[in-house]
Amino acid sequence: MIAVLESRLIPAGSPATLRTLKSFALALFLLIATIGFAADEPKLAHVYVTFEGSSAATIVPGRPTAVDLHFKVKDGFHVNSNKPKSELLIPTVLKLDLPTDLAAGGIVYPVGKDVSFPFDPSEKLNVYTGDFTVKAKLAAAHAASAGNFTVHGSLRYQACSDNACYPPRDAPVQFDVHVSSAASRAHRGNAQSPHIK
Amino acid sequence: MKRNALAILVIALVVAVMIYAGVRSSRGPKTTAVIGNPEPLQPNEAKGKQAPDFSLQDLDGRPVKLSDYRGKAVLLNFWATFCGPCKEEMPWLVELQKQYGPQGLQIIGVALDDSGKDTIVKYVKQMGVNYTILQGQDSVGDAYGAIGLPATYYIDRNGKIIDSALGLVSRGEIEDNIKKSLVEDKAQTASAGAKAKS
Repeated sequence: MIAVLESRLIPAGSPATLRTLKSFALALFLLIATIGFAADEPKLAHVYVTFEGSSAATIVPGRPTAVDLHFKVKDGFHVNSNKPKSELLIPTVLKLDLPTDLAAGGIVYPVGKDVSFPFDPSEKLNVYTGDFTVKAKLAAAHAASAGNFTVHGSLRYQACSDNACYPPRDAPVQFDVHVSSAASRAHRGNAQSPHIK
Repeated sequence: MKRNALAILVIALVVAVMIYAGVRSSRGPKTTAVIGNPEPLQPNEAKGKQAPDFSLQDLDGRPVKLSDYRGKAVLLNFWATFCGPCKEEMPWLVELQKQYGPQGLQIIGVALDDSGKDTIVKYVKQMGVNYTILQGQDSVGDAYGAIGLPATYYIDRNGKIIDSALGLVSRGEIEDNIKKSLVEDKAQTASAGAKAKS
């Protein structure tokens, strides 16, 4: 439909054609970007935990490697640890969507801090505040392709301030890992072998 | 040239609207318990506005509408089982329901909770709750601009929000707002009666 309209409005071979098409593309991009941004949820004001990046990770196939994933809790807020003290409390949980060449070998959560809050000074909750790091153990199959892989995931958390709590949210997580090539595998394997003198 | 630019802008707008509609519909139909499609209230701007009506199920599965309580002062309290501050104020609400119920107060707790009905029932029983508890839906919380929990709305007998609070406040503040709503209700009723006589 757009192509038909354009062909009627913009004479073929006109010197203004390219410029007009560029204007059209720019206008369309700006409109879509505006709409997309407005519709995007959650709004920044409702974000209580952010992913701050990961440690550099090179994975040797067949050998699980821990990747440090750094998170930050917004000042004035706390989130339940992975092992909150009550079954009613929602734990912080990391979920990773791994490329087919990679597999998860377990996730290690930090130990939370026991803290009491003004809304109930008699009870201590096990929480994360400020910066915390989750370790994700990743492994590559022996037949895995060498190269860089992007891992996507999310951290599910439920945040509270000193006097209010907020519905559970997901902090998006994205980081890159490098799976070493066959040559470097052999090299690393030899270098670490106890039989080589 | 100007005509072309205008036409291009119109086309861009049409395409953008189509994309927006597509994105909206791809998110699936949203079930809503809110009645009449009112404009959602903004957080901290509920005072003086008409309370959005809704229909939710109580813990016995019976549908309950906010407008069923027209003629009573309503304290509408959004809460959840995972919310520590909500737990703190529940015993106060139990006492206040006992104290001000005979004067026309009805406290309604809306559980915005994913933990399931059984957990809510068990929790409510454990806390000795003596007021109405409804199984909430996000659409109702959104309609009230309840971005956090607890979120409390004081609604007069005519369905108007006279005040609201986000987060835990003192028992005294809750009680003051209840008293205010009851007094204002009496004043409004008297005024309405005087107008009818004249």
